[in-house]
Amino acid sequence: MSRKVLTGIPVSAGVSIGRAYLLNRGHFCLAPIQSVSEELIPQEVERLKDAFDKALEGLRDIRSKVPDEHTEHAAIIDTHIMILKDPKLRRATERYIRDMHLNAEWALEKGVAEIEDSFLAVEDEYFRSRVAEVRMLAQRVMNHLLGHQDFIKPITSRVILVAHDLTPADTVELDVSKIMAFITAQGGKTSHVAIVARTLGIPAVVGVEELEETITDDQFIIVDGLRGVIVVDPDENELGAYSDLKYQFEAYQKEVMHNRHLPAETVDGFRVQLMANIELFEEVSSVIDYAGDGVGLYRTEYSYLHRQKLPSEQELMEEYRDLASILSPKRVIIRTLDAGGDKIGKGFEVLEEANPVLGLRAVRFCLRHRQMFKTQLRAILRASQLGNIALMFPMISGYGELKEVKQLLEEAKEELRNEGYPFDEEIPVGIMVELPSAVMIADILADEVDFFSIGTNDLIQYSLGIDRTNKYVANLYQPLHPALLRSIKHVVDSGHRAGIEVSMCGEMASDPYCLPILLGMQVDSLSLNPQSIPGIKSVLRKLTLDECSELLKRVMESNSVAVSNRLVRDSIFKRFPEELMFYSSLLEEEEE
Amino acid sequence: MLCNVPLSMVQKVNYFDETMTETGTASSQVYIRNELGLHARPAAILAKEAGKFDSTIQLILEDSAVDAKSVLDILSLAAVQGKTITIQAAGPDAQTAVSHLERFFLEGFGEG
Repeated sequence: MSRKVLTGIPVSAGVSIGRAYLLNRGHFCLAPIQSVSEELIPQEVERLKDAFDKALEGLRDIRSKVPDEHTEHAAIIDTHIMILKDPKLRRATERYIRDMHLNAEWALEKGVAEIEDSFLAVEDEYFRSRVAEVRMLAQRVMNHLLGHQDFIKPITSRVILVAHDLTPADTVELDVSKIMAFITAQGGKTSHVAIVARTLGIPAVVGVEELEETITDDQFIIVDGLRGVIVVDPDENELGAYSDLKYQFEAYQKEVMHNRHLPAETVDGFRVQLMANIELFEEVSSVIDYAGDGVGLYRTEYSYLHRQKLPSEQELMEEYRDLASILSPKRVIIRTLDAGGDKIGKGFEVLEEANPVLGLRAVRFCLRHRQMFKTQLRAILRASQLGNIALMFPMISGYGELKEVKQLLEEAKEELRNEGYPFDEEIPVGIMVELPSAVMIADILADEVDFFSIGTNDLIQYSLGIDRTNKYVANLYQPLHPALLRSIKHVVDSGHRAGIEVSMCGEMASDPYCLPILLGMQVDSLSLNPQSIPGIKSVLRKLTLDECSELLKRVMESNSVAVSNRLVRDSIFKRFPEELMFYSSLLEEEEE
Repeated sequence: MLCNVPLSMVQKVNYFDETMTETGTASSQVYIRNELGLHARPAAILAKEAGKFDSTIQLILEDSAVDAKSVLDILSLAAVQGKTITIQAAGPDAQTAVSHLERFFLEGFGEG
């Protein structure tokens, strides 16, 4: 019993306090090492076979419980079955019993190690990492050898699940209704467990170092999914503080969700549209659940990925039309393909690009493959009959390029008119402003389009010349850099002077600390993850445009990012001390 | 634009001696057309299908040959899209086995 604090990546918000339930797997240290005498060898081989059979039976049982529509999960479990049946693994393990007189447990460990060794030389990272699944599966066999009847012991009370990693097979097998939170040693923001936790609305912290070494079964722990902290055997004060935090967070969530249908309007009546960024058609339900004012960014890449053939005009048209009709009369902004040949792959020439981010992608790529581009434009137009679709071009760098894509759009319209297809003749056309060149000529571009959408993620990276995922320069990712604030303000003002709407998508739009700055600039709409909409709306409804304009003015006068960050953090935190403890921010806390 | 691998790219080179009904050998070269190569799912399908035959079946890529009935062996080939693999079988049902497995490559393991 000793108090200990672990940290990891928070991937699903919330606080849980309860007992740990270890999904026991990972290391084989439990296996006793014994030598088997000659006459007992057949018996030992039989014991091994039996354990393999039981493990297989267990997997088949899980497989049969996977609903038909989850073909991905089913395929993963099928692969796991084949790995357990693998003759190479079986032969190696059996050989250790027969030739070296090892007991089944130890032979299994040696057999797995042999397979692992054989994968060391594989150069391809994907293929090399597959071997991790062998050890995970062998643990199932090991459990049977050790006489642990059920692989997953039944969960009788509500628990906090602690695991090395969690596979789709595990989540099928687990009774998720009894799980209060997830903690895993592996994983990142997009791993399976993160998605499951967010769907269930329970806290999760992943990528926790020393997790399995520290936590034991049934231990009392606190999971802070807001900050990525785990407290093992907390003292009384911590327990009290976290109970309060948990209560406050849940009350806050409830209140925020309760008010989600109210308009996104400041106290003094400044109305902003809070739109959703979505990537999959299925996410349309989240837009409705979290009361988005529409879709501010529909990323269309998904339909092009992982397929043998390009999607047909009809297929795309139906997808866009269905989305628009479900959300009608709310606006749906469809962004044309924002990828390069590398992502779409197959069939496109393989380009040797030293720097693909600065290479042939988005409209540049589409203009190189006009037929494919026109198919998408025709599909969007044909889907626009209800009149709530808008079209947006990504990565526009200059006037000539914009004229060229608009020309192609006109050609598509003309074709459809000739073919007798109805479409919205007034379909609004906008561009993503995400390159510094587009920012500089925003006044010129504004005369050519119906709206701007500022893509802050890319704009920050291109403007400051940093890759945010590169840990050596990530500290230079500064949303309040004076250059960026001036850029954003220039775009908003240029748009408004030309009488067009300016919206903003990108992470800044979902950061409550950045919110007053964006409101101060009087953006017309913000587009963010659907799940973040109710929270941002709740902060927004307590702000006044006056205070936002005042704060913006002070920040624009500052010549230091550190000063701006402090200014914004302090003033916003003073206003919302209770709410803001539930959020993390893009604004780094500067070191004094 | 999109390049569909023409059937002619899959060169069928069957060496099958019809007199050897008991223990025949057969082989065929196939082109890996599915995007992710012989990743976990196709590898599992291949191993499962290969396991249905009595013949010993090998997959050969460049200078490595592996057991087609072992999903782990297949994965260790790290066979990516665009590579050509030789399926080689020896045994009573060698010819049937090769033609059977060949189909999966032709169909890209049903990955659309």
